[in-house]
Amino acid sequence: MNVRALKSAVAALALLVAAPAAFAQDLTIGVRAGPDSIDPHWSTLGSQAETLRHIFDTLVDVDEKLQLKPGLATSWTPIDDTTWEFKIREGVKFHDGSPLTAKDVKFSIERIPVVTGPMPMTLYTKYVETAEVVDDYTLRIKTKGVAPSLPNDFTRLFVVSANTGMEARNEQFNSGEKAIGTGPYKFVSWQPKGDLVLVRNDDYWGGAPHWKNVVRKEIADDAARVAALRSGQVDLINYVPASDYVGFKNDKALDTFISDSVYILNVQPTVKDVLPQKVKIDGKETDVNPFKDLRVRQALDYAINRDVLVNVVLEGLGTPANQLMPEGFFGYSTELPKREYDLAKAKELLAEAGYPKGFEFDFTCTNNRVPGDAVVCEALAQMWSRAGLKVNAQALNGTVYFPAAAREEFSVAMSAWGTLTGEAAYTYGALVHTRDKDKGFGNFNRTGYSNPEFDAVFAKGAATLNNDERRKLYEQGSFIAMEDRALIPTVILQTVWAAKAGELKFTPRVDQETRAYAIQPAK
Amino acid sequence: MLGYLAQRIAQAVVVIFAMSIIVFVGVFAIGNPIDVMIDPAATEQMRDELIRRYGLDLPLWQQYFLFLQNVARGDLGTSMIYNVPVVGLIFSRLPATLDLVLVSVSIAGLIGIPAGIWAGYKPDSKSAKIIMALSVLGFSVPTFWIGMLLIMAFAVHLGWLPSGGRGEVGTILGIPTSLATLNGWSHVILPALNLSLFKMGLMIRLARAGMVEAMRTDYVKFARAQGLPDRQIVTSHVMRNIMIPIVTVFGLELGSTLAFAVVTESVFNWPGVGKLIIDSILQLDRPVMVAYLVMVVTLFVLINLVVDLIYARLDPRVRLKGGA
Repeated sequence: MNVRALKSAVAALALLVAAPAAFAQDLTIGVRAGPDSIDPHWSTLGSQAETLRHIFDTLVDVDEKLQLKPGLATSWTPIDDTTWEFKIREGVKFHDGSPLTAKDVKFSIERIPVVTGPMPMTLYTKYVETAEVVDDYTLRIKTKGVAPSLPNDFTRLFVVSANTGMEARNEQFNSGEKAIGTGPYKFVSWQPKGDLVLVRNDDYWGGAPHWKNVVRKEIADDAARVAALRSGQVDLINYVPASDYVGFKNDKALDTFISDSVYILNVQPTVKDVLPQKVKIDGKETDVNPFKDLRVRQALDYAINRDVLVNVVLEGLGTPANQLMPEGFFGYSTELPKREYDLAKAKELLAEAGYPKGFEFDFTCTNNRVPGDAVVCEALAQMWSRAGLKVNAQALNGTVYFPAAAREEFSVAMSAWGTLTGEAAYTYGALVHTRDKDKGFGNFNRTGYSNPEFDAVFAKGAATLNNDERRKLYEQGSFIAMEDRALIPTVILQTVWAAKAGELKFTPRVDQETRAYAIQPAK
Repeated sequence: MLGYLAQRIAQAVVVIFAMSIIVFVGVFAIGNPIDVMIDPAATEQMRDELIRRYGLDLPLWQQYFLFLQNVARGDLGTSMIYNVPVVGLIFSRLPATLDLVLVSVSIAGLIGIPAGIWAGYKPDSKSAKIIMALSVLGFSVPTFWIGMLLIMAFAVHLGWLPSGGRGEVGTILGIPTSLATLNGWSHVILPALNLSLFKMGLMIRLARAGMVEAMRTDYVKFARAQGLPDRQIVTSHVMRNIMIPIVTVFGLELGSTLAFAVVTESVFNWPGVGKLIIDSILQLDRPVMVAYLVMVVTLFVLINLVVDLIYARLDPRVRLKGGA
């Protein structure tokens, strides 16, 4: 066979087998990560919730900026200090035709502790003492103590039918037998790490979505996901890698969508009496912990040039951060000034603190958890070295980093933290509050930071049901912790989606979710 | 023969034990899987409770002992990530990898061996030199990069073939396979070609080396003197003699491709076991790691067994003895 004959044979074969070009009713999305199970109560994994939202609804929903909006509950009100009343939407039907009532919600709450896995969903029901069905469309929740953030927690409360039964486990959900929700799409098929196939729920209470057939292809490899978009195998991809973003921007065949994410890279200086990795002064190890001194923490902060981090290191895909949450989140402080880059001041502060010649310390980061973590790590080490510090930077795989971080083996560390609930209690309660096992606070506070002033304000906020008052208290808490440099926020990471030019329109979400039912055709 | 089999099985059992201990100690040394998996907002109590639930608070020897007890009952465990039995999980993805490996090994064998024989038969010809130059490329250029090139050329620019995924799956003899449909074949061609290049280079080199050596031997000279045509000399005499090293390497390559096709699988988004195992390592999903490695060891032992049996067929001087 000569070359030409071979070419035409291949072309003919390709024509025969090429998948039919996507009809206007079909949407294929290439996603970086999918669910671990179709059981909505199995795991708190972000990609799990994002996916299962198509099949199941949550009691409370969130908008693009993570602020609350009605879901299966139309309203929620505190009746007294420890009781919340939720009104359940009427006329909602499960995919099998049975109607949704308050009983299904109660069942869902009670099912979670029985079936949840190593990423426990009990996180979202931990304040629930009892759930009480008042009538078909009213549910009262008695809480353990005052729980102002209960509606926030319920943004992850997926509702399954009470007919599911307590015995159903992941396998029955994965096979589709129990994958019966109230969501905009019905389950067709799924394979772990493979494709999730969905079909439109024409009776959806929120109005039937545009696309009849939706396939979410899990393509973990960045290059492969980009290739799938370029070859037309998928219509939209999420998490465009920074290296491809510049090329995409100049490519007329593709549209890009950009949004701030909830993830911020935070530097975590340990302030305990003894550092796990001791610092060296003039090459000699010392028992002193310089980071206990606020001036040293401020010096670290002033030495960071956030504009360079954003524009050079992250190729424009970031926003300078001055606190642990993006703007607009519940408890974001508008009082905090923009962080400034001032090398002279950093040196001056170090000298004042008694380290005119600087010191040598270890700095550890993750290298695969969020885009840019490793490069920001290296850049920070260089910036600090300009202030006269000697930094031994090390970027580790998350599989190694997290267990070691949990054992508190790092003196200064950096990893990303995302305020997934859109409000301050989640982030400041876990990272900044004094570690307190009984109250369940400070469980990710690995720096040993403890500030009674902050703890008092935070505790007062956590016990205030009035939204405006609570917001003010959290803002005050943010201010105290950030001025004290409990942690040093660097940059808010941004996420990029890409689609074939002129085909789709959608509003990128700060939680990085890609919801098929929120995507519209451009025409 | 029986003694030989018994010895092989005993070897396999020892290796499986040793390997499962290595996995247990390895995971233990890295740290607690719960710390990798757990949600950032979970409280200390939730963490402790989970560690207890999965028995990770027990001393290592006790955890291992529990694992052995379950294995004795035929239970290799349940994935911590997916909460489904690991054996089912692995076997649900194995057919995809089998497709890929079978096609790629076939391509490598069917093209590589004849090309190598030709290159060894006419070592000074231009075509032989071209074949050898290409085999060096197959060896030295990274699989990942060639995979990307193939995608760019055939999927993005020419648009002839899909860039990834498994395509339509049919069944042959009850096993789900992409090889049952045309659409499936169009998906399997690129990744299989990608995966076969290294092996093809290997086959070419082995076949050529054997061929060059064999053509100089006395029996070939005698056969020629006898007036036998070259074609008959090569197919009925030389081939038999050069096949032993090729079969050995072929077997090893088959095993290692089945177990570790992960680079190609991730570039082409092929839903095989490679991706599953890499993810389970990153998430420290110990049951999946152990079960998978047990499977791989068993596979290698089986393949070696088959290779030895083929030896005996090819060369009657080889005897299969127990205890050697």
